[in-house]
Amino acid sequence: MRKAVYIGGLLVLALARSASAHLAALSDKELSSVQGGGVGMVMENFVFEHGTDVQNGQVFKIGGIKSSTGEAVNITVNKLYIARAGSNYGTNLQPVNLGRLINPYTIDLLNGDNIGIPGKAVLQIAAPTKVAASVGYDCLDPAAVAGSGTCSSRPATATYANGERPDIGIQMNVQVGTNAAHNLNIQAKSAVIDGSYLRLWGDDTNHRLVAQFKLNFYTPELSISSCDLSGTSCGSTIFMKNFQLELAMGNNLQPMYLDVDGTGNFVFQIQDIPKPAAGMIAADGKLADSDATTWNYYNDYYTNPEYRSNLKIGDFSVGAQDFGSAEVSGLLIQHLKITTHDLAP
Amino acid sequence: MRYRTILGIVVSAVLAWCVPVTAGAQLKKMNDADMSKVAAQGGIYLSGDITLNENGGPLQNAYFGACTDTTKHCGARIAVQMKQNGGWLVLDDLRGKFSFQGLTIRTRKITSGFGGDGALFNRDVLEIGLPNVVQFDNVSMNIAASSTSRPTDAGFQQTDLFSVQMQGKVTMQGNLLVFPDGNP
Repeated sequence: MRKAVYIGGLLVLALARSASAHLAALSDKELSSVQGGGVGMVMENFVFEHGTDVQNGQVFKIGGIKSSTGEAVNITVNKLYIARAGSNYGTNLQPVNLGRLINPYTIDLLNGDNIGIPGKAVLQIAAPTKVAASVGYDCLDPAAVAGSGTCSSRPATATYANGERPDIGIQMNVQVGTNAAHNLNIQAKSAVIDGSYLRLWGDDTNHRLVAQFKLNFYTPELSISSCDLSGTSCGSTIFMKNFQLELAMGNNLQPMYLDVDGTGNFVFQIQDIPKPAAGMIAADGKLADSDATTWNYYNDYYTNPEYRSNLKIGDFSVGAQDFGSAEVSGLLIQHLKITTHDLAP
Repeated sequence: MRYRTILGIVVSAVLAWCVPVTAGAQLKKMNDADMSKVAAQGGIYLSGDITLNENGGPLQNAYFGACTDTTKHCGARIAVQMKQNGGWLVLDDLRGKFSFQGLTIRTRKITSGFGGDGALFNRDVLEIGLPNVVQFDNVSMNIAASSTSRPTDAGFQQTDLFSVQMQGKVTMQGNLLVFPDGNP
């Protein structure tokens, strides 16, 4: 046995010797000029389409879901598409670009020290970032020009037909139990998700994967309609004009996490913010009488706009009824816990 | 038997010394003029199909079996645990065939186009050309949450959240451009 170990050692030496012949040490100066980086991704001339056409062998189904009364819910996706703006609700699919070469979709490993998650390496998957209003484009206007807003993705123009804002739509049949199936259509025109990201890192204390998810979704028109199965008799369409969603799920102070409990049920949770220790925040709530670090911690938590979710709808209408505009802004999720339950007997 | 094994290791150790020497004898430095005559391939064109558990996987036990046996599961199972000693998020019963023709991989220098971004970018990218159409044959999977990684483990409980079934042609047109970006 000792012999085998010794020979193994020789082998390692032999390999190390041959390898060292090809490698040269880098000086500090050389090393400082080496830059690591993430990966940037842009989709050029992109079209995605899938759907159901039973006569031609096309099937796209989502099943296994039960209603609260235990009836099976079957969803048949008739059409799912991502294509150039101006698709006329998915009837004319032309190619679109997603992301910009100078501001692409990215997969990157970030230094947590720079984004308020100290001592952690953070994996980030991100859409194009928001930019200064002096060079950006209005997030909603399909005819926006440079300098009109903070979005980086540009709308299509006469000289740049693809644009970077796709039409996205899904048309599906939903059938609950033996009830008549209904057709549900959700479509967004000229959609922009700039500034969205998903950050993942490890929580050493609780030995789990935690995340921060920011979803920005802007569209000049989001429509939801329901029809009978033939698609000829439709109810009123819900139109949401100038729809802006800025959803913040979890943050560095209260990350979100996904888990499965001991009975095999799915748990989605956003941790609550820890309570201050007794005496750290003064009864009058003022900084001068409180522990400064603790006071600043809670002040940041309650004032940082990055932690808050916003929903703005420029104009909300159902059929001929116009409900005007609606806005929910500054929503802070203090604690959230969703657990699935198995309804099967 | 033990000595034969050790002998084998000695022989490989000696080989490790010899290989660099013999390899070195066949390689010659190229000068710039020679190198400039070398033309690489334009890229790669790939066609094919990927089949997952068409007839069932290699495991045969109380849970897994052949696809002809309706009492058994025959698809692949991928389980991920996101918390120490926690439950498992599962991609279960994954099976089907993906066929495609004309997936291309090549490098490309972008100096123009993209609404003016190309000239600013002026760099090389890796271009993955999507195959226009991907044929899905009986592709199906379950998304589930499970108390154990394997269905044969003690205390196994699973909740199937939903299932997805795909069949037919999926349009996927365009080029995926990949390039280095971001912060060190």
